[in-house]
Amino acid sequence: MAKVLIPTPLRQYTEKHDSVDLTGATVGEVLGALTAKFPDLRKQLFNDEGKLRSFVNVYLNDEDIRYLKKDATAVAPADTLSIVPSIAGGSAGVAPPPLASLSNDEILRYSRHLIMPEVGMEGQLRLKNASVLLVGAGGLGAPLGMYLAAAGVGRIGLVDSDVVDFTNLHRQIIHGTKDVGRKKLDSAADTISDINPNVKIERYDTWLTSENALEIGAKYDMIIDGTDNFPTRYLVNDACVLLKKPNVYGSIFRFEGQATIFAFPGGPCYRCLYPEPPPPGLVPSCAEGGVLGILPGIIGLIQATEAVKLILGVGETLVGRLVLYDALAMRFRELKLRKNPECPACGDHPTITKLIDYQEFCGIPQHEPPPAPGVKEGEIDPIEVKRKMDQGEPFLLLDVREPHEYLICSIPTSKLIPLGDLPKRVNELDTATEIVAHCKSGVRSAKAVDFLKQAGFKKVKNMRGGILAWSDKVDPTVPKY
Amino acid sequence: MIKVDSQAWAVMVAHAEAKFPNECCGAMIGKIDGDVKQVTSAEPMENAYAGAQGARYELRPEDLLEADKRARAAGLDLIGIFHSHPDCDAYFSKTDLENSCPWYSFVVLSIKGGKFDHANSFLPNAEQTAAEKEDLIWPKS
Repeated sequence: MAKVLIPTPLRQYTEKHDSVDLTGATVGEVLGALTAKFPDLRKQLFNDEGKLRSFVNVYLNDEDIRYLKKDATAVAPADTLSIVPSIAGGSAGVAPPPLASLSNDEILRYSRHLIMPEVGMEGQLRLKNASVLLVGAGGLGAPLGMYLAAAGVGRIGLVDSDVVDFTNLHRQIIHGTKDVGRKKLDSAADTISDINPNVKIERYDTWLTSENALEIGAKYDMIIDGTDNFPTRYLVNDACVLLKKPNVYGSIFRFEGQATIFAFPGGPCYRCLYPEPPPPGLVPSCAEGGVLGILPGIIGLIQATEAVKLILGVGETLVGRLVLYDALAMRFRELKLRKNPECPACGDHPTITKLIDYQEFCGIPQHEPPPAPGVKEGEIDPIEVKRKMDQGEPFLLLDVREPHEYLICSIPTSKLIPLGDLPKRVNELDTATEIVAHCKSGVRSAKAVDFLKQAGFKKVKNMRGGILAWSDKVDPTVPKY
Repeated sequence: MIKVDSQAWAVMVAHAEAKFPNECCGAMIGKIDGDVKQVTSAEPMENAYAGAQGARYELRPEDLLEADKRARAAGLDLIGIFHSHPDCDAYFSKTDLENSCPWYSFVVLSIKGGKFDHANSFLPNAEQTAAEKEDLIWPKS
């Protein structure tokens, strides 16, 4: 008589016996005798074709019968047969398809996705069930919103409080000329709905702040940073780390862009790469430094691709890799990013356990500082400058912009010395003459004024609002850029 | 319903966190009392999957056989299998389903960034086509 050990879960079929003694010359005969005695057991061990189920292993003493003679393995009376399941698995092969279905219209719309095995019905349902938060409906947000909507992402949150401006149109293709003056949220939502009416759009007519970021972010699977300023970058990063949600990151400047995925659990975050923000003013924004209009298209679509891959669970994502793109050289490079164990946000002993004041952290004033009443000391209003000109008062109007900006527009009688050239050309200026400096909007000329004062000039003023304010208040024929 | 004692739970979580970013696996031993499976001890096992183990695991049948023998000797039963999902949720994936066995509870521990996040227990069917979620109770510390 050979002994067959019955695993606990099967004892309900063997009248609770944990082992059964049976006769048989081979393993096949013993198992036959077992299932003859306990017919309900048969379904557990064998499939409809009478073969052992794929997860059932039979061991003769300590050996798997697959490596002996299988069913024909001889059994001696003192032998013990064990039934052992083979068990494996893993998160690969991703989550089971979510409970939802596609309408016939959706099946037609997504047919080029559905016929790819990497997407298929399961992936498309995953996209439909996915939610992403786009911070900013601008240069990066435009291609992101349009393509993610087209791809079938079910729910898109948009955070933006801005209004479409003519200067946006060369890159923010989600908005059109007819949209100038409208809220970006409304304009973007219209475009998205037109591309794919199945997308649920959630509008947040606000800026992302430390007060609202966690609450808004918690409602989405991932956050995509399409902003252009350091406080928001740190805010999005920290919120993603705290919420354990990936931060699909992109940034653009002039002809160059970067993209990666930060704060993916186990991967590096923005603070691992940049623990401290740069000093305010060191890195110009797109408004200050310019950007190639096409560039956000490329970078935004890298972000969109990564978002879709995260949703589908396919491919090799940018977690731990920073892609650098140079449009002039038309070259992509890649840097490896490592998680910093000392990182204050995502390291082993994080010190950032809640959101902080990111404006203060980055050393810059609040998002939309209320304009100071009246003219500050050291500043002069464009109207006053015009009056001085008309009355023939002696002063020098110093334009500290770049030569290519001077070619766009300039104020007659002004002298051009770009801010960067000022130290070496300061001897062209006379300390006895009153100087009014101007630039595009007043930021660079304020620096010029500071520099000149330190160089011993006493009669220096900054024209408030720059040539943009000149165009608004004095001479509307001067184009704004 | 499957209830895990605190000591067994501590062993499971420690094993899962130690193996991060790889998947871990092991067996759960205890007693079945009516509808309640009480897990009193957990046995970490080696992940025998031959390839990258970040998203796969495999239990050696020999190890299970040994665990089953030890449980029997102690008058206990092998009642569940646990494994971890590093940096993703504790769902029962297609891979899990296709390599499952309907006889045991399958507890999946989600480990995110190296730390335990949440867990679920599943009961797969014999055809390996579906898994039912089972109530899982673990000690909340």
